[in-house]
Amino acid sequence: MAFPHRPDAPELPDFSMLKRLARDQLIYLLEQQHEVDKLYKVENKPALSSSEQLCFLVRPRIKNMRYIANLVNADKLAGRTRKYKVIFSPQKFYACEMVLEEEGIYGDVSCDEWAFSLLPLDVDLLSMELPEFFRDYFLEGDQRWINTVAQALHLLSTLYGSFPNCYGIGRCAKMSYELWRKLEEEEDGETKGRRPEIGHIFLLDRDMDFVTALCSQVVYEGLVDDTFRIKCGSVDFGPEVTSSDKSLKVLLNAEDKVFNEIRNEHFSNVFGFLSQKARNLQAQYDRRRGMDIKQMKNFVSQELKGLKQEHRLLSLHIGACESIMKKKTKQDFQELIKTEHALLEGFSIRESTSYIEEHIDRQVSPIESLRLMCLLSITENTDKAAGKITDAFSSLAKRSNFRAISKKLNLIPRVDGEYDLKVPRDMAYVFSGAYVPLSCRIIEQVLERRSWQGLDEVVRLLNCSEFAFTDMIKDDKASSESLRLILVVFLGGCTFSEISALRFLGREKGYRFIFLTTAVTNSARLMEAMSEVKA
Amino acid sequence: MDCYTANWNPLGDSAFYRKYELYSMDWDLKEELRDCLVAAAPYGGPIALLRNPWRKEKAASVRPVLDIYSASGVPLASLLWKSGPVVSLGWSAEEELLCVQEDGAVLVYGLHGDFRRHFSMGNEVLQNRVLDARIFHTEFGSGVAILTGAHRFTLSANVGDLKLRRMPEVPGLQSAPSCWTTLCQDRVAHILLAVGPDLYLLDHAACSAVIPPGLAPGVSSFLQMAVSFTYRHLALFTDTGYIWMGTASLKVDVGDMAMGLVSRVCPKHMCSRPRSKERAVVVAWERRLMVVGDAPESIQFVLDEDSYLVPELDGVRIFSRSTHEFLHEVPAASEEIFKIASMAPGALLLEAQKEYEKESQKADEYLREIQELGQLTQAVQQCIEAAGHEHQPEMQKSLLRAASFGKCFLDRFPPDSFVRMCQDLRVLNAVRDYHIGIPLTYSQYPHALVLRRLYPLAIQICEYLRLPEVQGVSRILAHWACYKVQQKDVSDEDVARAINQKLGDTPGVSYSDIAARAYGCGRTELAIKLLEYEPRSGEQVPLLLKMKRSKLALSKAIESGDTDLVFTVLLHLKNELNRGDFFMTLRNQPMALSLYRQFCKHQELETLKDLYNQDDNHQELGSFHIRASYAAEERIEGRVAALQTAADAFYKAKNEFAAKATEDQMRLLRLQRRLEDELGGQFLDLSLHDTVTTLILGGHNKRAEQLARDFRIPDKRLWWLKLTALADLEDWEELEKFSKSKKSPIGYLPFVEICMKQHNKYEAKKYASRVGPEQKVKALLLVGDVAQAADVAIEHRNEAELSLVLSHCTGATDGATADKIQRARAQAQKK
Repeated sequence: MAFPHRPDAPELPDFSMLKRLARDQLIYLLEQQHEVDKLYKVENKPALSSSEQLCFLVRPRIKNMRYIANLVNADKLAGRTRKYKVIFSPQKFYACEMVLEEEGIYGDVSCDEWAFSLLPLDVDLLSMELPEFFRDYFLEGDQRWINTVAQALHLLSTLYGSFPNCYGIGRCAKMSYELWRKLEEEEDGETKGRRPEIGHIFLLDRDMDFVTALCSQVVYEGLVDDTFRIKCGSVDFGPEVTSSDKSLKVLLNAEDKVFNEIRNEHFSNVFGFLSQKARNLQAQYDRRRGMDIKQMKNFVSQELKGLKQEHRLLSLHIGACESIMKKKTKQDFQELIKTEHALLEGFSIRESTSYIEEHIDRQVSPIESLRLMCLLSITENTDKAAGKITDAFSSLAKRSNFRAISKKLNLIPRVDGEYDLKVPRDMAYVFSGAYVPLSCRIIEQVLERRSWQGLDEVVRLLNCSEFAFTDMIKDDKASSESLRLILVVFLGGCTFSEISALRFLGREKGYRFIFLTTAVTNSARLMEAMSEVKA
Repeated sequence: MDCYTANWNPLGDSAFYRKYELYSMDWDLKEELRDCLVAAAPYGGPIALLRNPWRKEKAASVRPVLDIYSASGVPLASLLWKSGPVVSLGWSAEEELLCVQEDGAVLVYGLHGDFRRHFSMGNEVLQNRVLDARIFHTEFGSGVAILTGAHRFTLSANVGDLKLRRMPEVPGLQSAPSCWTTLCQDRVAHILLAVGPDLYLLDHAACSAVIPPGLAPGVSSFLQMAVSFTYRHLALFTDTGYIWMGTASLKVDVGDMAMGLVSRVCPKHMCSRPRSKERAVVVAWERRLMVVGDAPESIQFVLDEDSYLVPELDGVRIFSRSTHEFLHEVPAASEEIFKIASMAPGALLLEAQKEYEKESQKADEYLREIQELGQLTQAVQQCIEAAGHEHQPEMQKSLLRAASFGKCFLDRFPPDSFVRMCQDLRVLNAVRDYHIGIPLTYSQYPHALVLRRLYPLAIQICEYLRLPEVQGVSRILAHWACYKVQQKDVSDEDVARAINQKLGDTPGVSYSDIAARAYGCGRTELAIKLLEYEPRSGEQVPLLLKMKRSKLALSKAIESGDTDLVFTVLLHLKNELNRGDFFMTLRNQPMALSLYRQFCKHQELETLKDLYNQDDNHQELGSFHIRASYAAEERIEGRVAALQTAADAFYKAKNEFAAKATEDQMRLLRLQRRLEDELGGQFLDLSLHDTVTTLILGGHNKRAEQLARDFRIPDKRLWWLKLTALADLEDWEELEKFSKSKKSPIGYLPFVEICMKQHNKYEAKKYASRVGPEQKVKALLLVGDVAQAADVAIEHRNEAELSLVLSHCTGATDGATADKIQRARAQAQKK
């Protein structure tokens, strides 16, 4: 269980610096300038505050501007004068100022920017927390966030040195990369001479691989995300998990020792692992018996706290597992997974289609049905019944050549006998051995070749002939350790399954991956982003 | 060469002062200097003269002329003064001429008389008029201090970043102070003023009285004060004929001394050289110039003409109608070498070299003398340094020759200082040339750079001194280009080409700045041509917009990838063009179009519709109306009408599926409306399936079936719907009736499942028996009949089923069953 890293695996850079930077700037903005005493959430209702000044910390969205405008105008009508300050994060857009002006309050508010674009969710995971990126760019064709991405990359290279090897695929990846390069050129000299800490950077557009993101996840962390929804690296475990009447907010990251051991595991292993762990824990507790006073004193002062902590975490995760099992067996999870795998493999399409039909007949969940249809549409590249309903989707995944790509990249591993999920042999384990995530396979292949050479056919099938690039910047100062650190940038979001798969690849090859994503996503979020209701 | 020290004048024991001519001025002044407002920029800068007609009582019928000359008297510009009365002139650190008018307006002119901008010193100044004004220099830039008619001071420490400060009132000040000056201490500008026997120091907050320490008694008034160039020293001239000298902080005095009483005190300046041995003040009267120091005797010069004094870092420049002279303390190195009968190593080395040229053996003697003392290195250094302070190239040369000669006898003398000095002197001599007219001294040299359209020279200097490109050559080239675009007689093409040829892509040159200048001169076409050379498309946009080339700006903005920029241009375009043209422009720019659409979606829905209409984008129009039917319309009729429009649009877009679906929705809406009318309850906005379910739940089975027929709900789905609804109702009787109504198209396993979901094992078992053989095992397991499931599985001889049953065998009760299965398996394997 919980495979250790190879002993020569490189150390991860310290990303807490990003947090400190952001925090200090925010404190400066809030306290030094505006003396904040109370925080409200921006919702579409008036803020009941008698304060003399209001400060809004918002994403630069037109909707938010309207909210602020309504509030200010309401104050004006009531003959009330206050000071208003809008802090945009991560940046201010001209369109927002325009709205403020059109609403006639531009003169009443002052604006600031909080350039917080990278939130370290974990030791190896940076999130821009921009779920809207996906819809804005891939659906609406709005390129506003590209600049934000470029700025974030620029920040990383100023802090951790330039990246000697750059790869990327996708239109957005290319644009972001070029904009970033421009920024670097304009501010030349600063980053130069710094020893690069991270040897490779790989930029990848989400529309290269919708299939992986649409699949149900079976790795623990992914499953927790699918079931409970992880937000900003923390999850709300309801009463059914905590086995009390209260919900509990739990941070999920490498700090949680129990979680860290099971996060990348296939779900079928997790329960066994947890019960083993519980037995060990019990044994440690049991050592108390037969202790003399002095030993007991030692035990209480040194071990007990750790054990209690572990105990608490353990019971939480066991609770979560039980809850997942309950939910998943109810909906006949196995059948669902089987159908998904059949779709991925392109096997018994008729059965899959009738499963989807039954899914609709049973009225399980429209969005789930839609998801399965999308999966069918992309993997089969058909334009039949499913294609019509999923218009929004198929217009994005124009001419998906999934079948051909899958063959070319060998995404469906040949299985002789049972796939041992306890000792995975490839990245396919994140989908029960049935499918290697396309995105991860592309990354693996390019890293192996150190270029796109020999992948011409794949790139062509991805419709990306103009948008696959490699850029090597000669830098002799790069240490061999840094050359085994790879930053993967997912534009449009990545799933925990992809993260787990790449973590596995890293362990196998002695690399370490660092992930930068516009947001962590999953199939449900992806589908919701497409539908108008939530957007 | 013996008379070389003839113009040296001793001051006290240790210092010598010398005065030499820089230029003889032939600027053909018609006026007397005293009739003019005069301003001379430091560091050998230009001189501005404005004949002052306002001082006299005469009516100012003739407009005065503002003339600008180089320090050598070469005219640079001449313009007719058309604005109001000027009180004071002064040069800023950027060599811009600041003209302070009586009404507090400050007009800023360039070196060549080009008007740059103007600013006001505030309302208070405007009301009370300007009585007196000073331009002063601080580390932040150049400031202006004003004394108003109300005897209040207003100042701005940096005219580049104008922040006006009104200084506090001086208590009891009824008339103008007898003299005042600006001081700059601890990065803050102060004002020191004298009123009768009292001195006051004004800062931002307070007015404090100060007393210079050690001031001789009996002073009833201060007539003049002067501050040194670096604001370190101060001199006060009293009505008792004394001069008090001390630090500007007024803490330490240098001692005061008696002066012959004088009737009229002329401009007076204090000169203090860095590392100077003696502090001294230069005092000028109409025909007399005095250098006063600590020593009891002072140096006196006779002035033949009206003169004007310009304080410099290391001396004082004195110019009059005919000459321009420089008065300074002889620098230490020069003094060592040239002092009469000096035995300093440098002096000996100079002698040695002279003798060497005369081929005299004395050269060897002198050289030996230096070497014996081990001072040859020092001698060479002295000669090099002294060369720097000499004005005459001849003397520089002979000193450098001596240094070079001495160097031959040294093993390791690093050559940089010598080379550097040669380079510097070449530059200095070049700029001191009469035509250039910048009399920089070696001490001033590092402080000053050149801005005077002498581009080739400037570039050569930069290259010669190996200044980094961005700092040196690029700046000069950009400056040249800005000048070039003002040459109206050259065609646009030629200018653009010339500029591009010369500039290429030199780092640090901004084509957009040059283009902005071109546009400022009214040469739009040229500006556009120049912008083509600008590599950063983002930089091109603002100017293009200003020039009303919005379409071009739009494509440049899109190129830059900066959405904000695109948006800026879009809104410009929207206001500038009529709607049709605006839409046409958008049509060719998909990125801008999508951006604008997003904006419209939130702010201008109608525009969005127009946009789609314009493009005949029926698909999007359809979607637009669908959205409208949900968001904008309340009444059912309105909603249906909106959907009808949408359906029509979808037909036009040849999207049959969407059109049909929309029509179905219209039908459903109408139907739901009818259901609500007839049955009551909530039907509107339910999905078709939910409508069916609601009907079943309400017991309207007939209607439900009718609805299913109307909307062609597949049989299978209807069965599912009915099954789920009836189970939810727990109407087991009806369910059974339903199950027997005809053969189930979905089989009977779902019946088992649904019953079990409602925890009704009894009912479930009823249906389990009717489940077909393929799903029998599953059904039996669902109702918990493991034993029978095992029997069926064994009967089927199906391995998968066997393991499924086995996995359900838990606990002791199923032990027998498990064994049975194992046996059956074993048997099957035997066969």
